[in-house]
Amino acid sequence: MSEPDDPRWLDDVAGELRREVPVRPAWRARLLDEVARTPTPSLRDDIDDTFDHRDERAGDRGRRRWSISVGPVGSLAAASMLIALGAGATYVAMSRFGANTRAGAGRTAVTAASPQLASSAPASTEREVVRFELAAPRASHVALVGSFNEWNPVATPLARDPASGKWVVSLRLPPGRHVYAFVVDGDVTADPSAPRAADEDFGSANSVVFVSSPRT
Amino acid sequence: MSVRLLALVVAFAASAATAGAQEVDRTLPSQLSAPTRATLERLIDSARVAGLPVDPLYSKVREGVFRAADDERVLAAVRRLTRDLGDARSALGDGAGAEEIAAGANALRAGLQPGDLSRLRESRGRRDDHPLTVALVVLADLATRGVPPAMATASVNELVARDVSDGSLLSFRQNVERDLVSGRSPASALDARTRAMIDDRKP
Repeated sequence: MSEPDDPRWLDDVAGELRREVPVRPAWRARLLDEVARTPTPSLRDDIDDTFDHRDERAGDRGRRRWSISVGPVGSLAAASMLIALGAGATYVAMSRFGANTRAGAGRTAVTAASPQLASSAPASTEREVVRFELAAPRASHVALVGSFNEWNPVATPLARDPASGKWVVSLRLPPGRHVYAFVVDGDVTADPSAPRAADEDFGSANSVVFVSSPRT
Repeated sequence: MSVRLLALVVAFAASAATAGAQEVDRTLPSQLSAPTRATLERLIDSARVAGLPVDPLYSKVREGVFRAADDERVLAAVRRLTRDLGDARSALGDGAGAEEIAAGANALRAGLQPGDLSRLRESRGRRDDHPLTVALVVLADLATRGVPPAMATASVNELVARDVSDGSLLSFRQNVERDLVSGRSPASALDARTRAMIDDRKP
């Protein structure tokens, strides 16, 4: 491929490549996760890199390292290819996620007396149904807030169970430790039947529910 | 472009591909000021690069906003939690999972010492496939209910060493709580409930 004679062309391309690309926070987080998992290169590696070409000249194939030199046009082509690869993989991943969500929606919630593991889920889904309940006979509105609903007080309202008179809600939660609290007529209160979390950074204590991994 | 850089870009593309399945909202609420969000982002990025679980940090921020805490308070809470997560990871070892580390941080906050967490890990022995999350949740709960941490640790260590199940540990906590509410002393409640659980396991 021939390149234009105008040297400004290269500046234009370089400027485009330097332009900051908006990245979704979740993607950024995952990239940093990958960086955190990558072992820190040692000084020895850097020295090896420096002497790569000398090793090749000496015919030391056992220690040979590969490097690829790509010009601006090649970089653009590679970037386009990677974006297309990422978009395709995203589509596949989201399709799969959507299918899982739909598969789980039809399951019947199983009740339990405490906000611990309430039912076993089939191996096809990782989520477990957990029933939360609170005896608050004089309350007019009760909601659940926690790490599983971004502490959103309107996301998970409880309904009064006509049989027991208790406020109840069943949720499908992923395995793990979840911190939560009830909001009773605007007041935040811990669940009296659950383990307490020692995290009173903002006032009253929270509670903890633990959802075990699905049995396979 | 070196192979190493190419690998990083491919890793980024792969990360982006699976981001659609991410369930935790890893954004910072707009209710916080821009400088606070920037500071939080740096704190959380540092924690992430250090290999600490960051979902508890995002949750802590959201909780602070929900409870109408001011920016300074949110920052202080996140700093403290980051420190506790680091201490818990050091005490529990590099093999500890995210849930164990978060539960360990909570136990430290409840008054346990890093050495208590290390001893709990030793009690588990070589059963690495059995996470200590529930044991740590139980320990933190007992400590918040006024049980001296050393006493709680001794009991839970004994149960963990005997490979008591998570369900049994939660029942143990519930029974101790009931005893405490009925006026029994922590020492007496722990002793009786630990002994009962061990006796139940005898053939």
